[in-house]
Amino acid sequence: MREKLRCIIIITNGFATGAWMVWSGGLMEAKPTVALFEKTMLPHLDAAYNLAVWLTRNEHDAEDIVQEAYLRAFRFFDGFRGGDGRSWLLAVVRNTALTWLRREKTAPSVSFDEEMHGQVSQAATVEAKLVGRAKFAVIRNCLDLLPVEFREVVVMREIEEMSYREIAEAASAPIGTVMSRLSRARQSLQDCVAARMKEASK
Amino acid sequence: MTCIPAKSLLESYVDDELDAAQTAHVAEHLATCASCAALHAQLLELRAGIRAHAPYYNAPAGLRERIQVSVRQADRQARRGAPFWRRMAMAAAILLAVSAAWNIALYRSRISSADLIAQDVFSSHVRSLMGANLVDVPSSDQHTVKPWFNGKLDFSPDVRDFAAQGFPLIGGRIDYVGGRAVAALVYQRRKHLINVFTWPSAVPAGRPELDRNGYHVVYWFTNGMSWWAVSDLNAGEMRQFEDLYRQ
Repeated sequence: MREKLRCIIIITNGFATGAWMVWSGGLMEAKPTVALFEKTMLPHLDAAYNLAVWLTRNEHDAEDIVQEAYLRAFRFFDGFRGGDGRSWLLAVVRNTALTWLRREKTAPSVSFDEEMHGQVSQAATVEAKLVGRAKFAVIRNCLDLLPVEFREVVVMREIEEMSYREIAEAASAPIGTVMSRLSRARQSLQDCVAARMKEASK
Repeated sequence: MTCIPAKSLLESYVDDELDAAQTAHVAEHLATCASCAALHAQLLELRAGIRAHAPYYNAPAGLRERIQVSVRQADRQARRGAPFWRRMAMAAAILLAVSAAWNIALYRSRISSADLIAQDVFSSHVRSLMGANLVDVPSSDQHTVKPWFNGKLDFSPDVRDFAAQGFPLIGGRIDYVGGRAVAALVYQRRKHLINVFTWPSAVPAGRPELDRNGYHVVYWFTNGMSWWAVSDLNAGEMRQFEDLYRQ
């Protein structure tokens, strides 16, 4: 009799455990809704696309990269701790773009200074000579020549107008690193632009 | 503020990353220092150049819609996929819990092999006292009883007489305990009879109940033999008898 009672108690416990697991499983299922994701992330679509184009220098691939980055961001949306969302999204875009660059092997492997002070490409020189479009072409060209880790901080600071802290989050780097990269990038851009303008005015 | 700290702060100044006091110091210095002011102007010029001439690429038409479609599709897949696996996991967990509970209950309610033997020992003892079949070889001589088992059992029991200690041997018979033929030796203590069953066996599992309906069992194991003694004697005298055998 006592054995039977004990048996019943144990089986009841088993069922209770199962029920608890179903219940807690239901709690765990509370996933972020698509609506919340779209509300926080879609406003930064232009920023995402702009960064992707500047990183890859390819508008067509940038579209694919942004679409893939949004999917990734949705999958890891649990890791988003609230707030503005731009830096968080741009970090995902940046990682997706860097993966793409590594795969395409189009990332500039030539050393920084060599590129900067080397000969100016024929097309750029011709373009630079065109009055009115000269500076547009020079600055774009000089930016394109920057290695990707320098180009991205300039784009984020000057074009996207992000703070050091936001750039650090998006680039997954300490603020000190962001500042020194920004400083070096500006120096190189100034040198590059000066060299091109001199070339063009000949 | 001198030039050295001002220069190191110049970019943070341009980027608006200094606190109010530092900003004021740098601004003050720039008003008086021509070389720093020139650097400052260069930085502003570069910024103006970039902002004026580096394009901001706006997302092309349709990209937003494509992203919405793919995100919603991923969401649907995640929702369709998750409950199935979760349900399977839950079912497995419940099954496991129930089967574990069932096995524990079964284990606890199981009758141990030692219990079965004790049951047989009690029954044989009572049956031997009921009929005329207490002993097949009535003899107080261990040298008569021991050879009698030859050819009847596949082992030769260790038969001893304890008449000097007050437990005289009165005979032996073949009995059936725990699913096999065993040697039963009968001793007497005053008016009480003691049945001793012995056979070769390993130590059985479990702890049997040793007192039943006024009868008492003691059991021990020596040299691969099981010994089970049962009687209506008190527990103290049963232990005394056991000690005699184990000496």
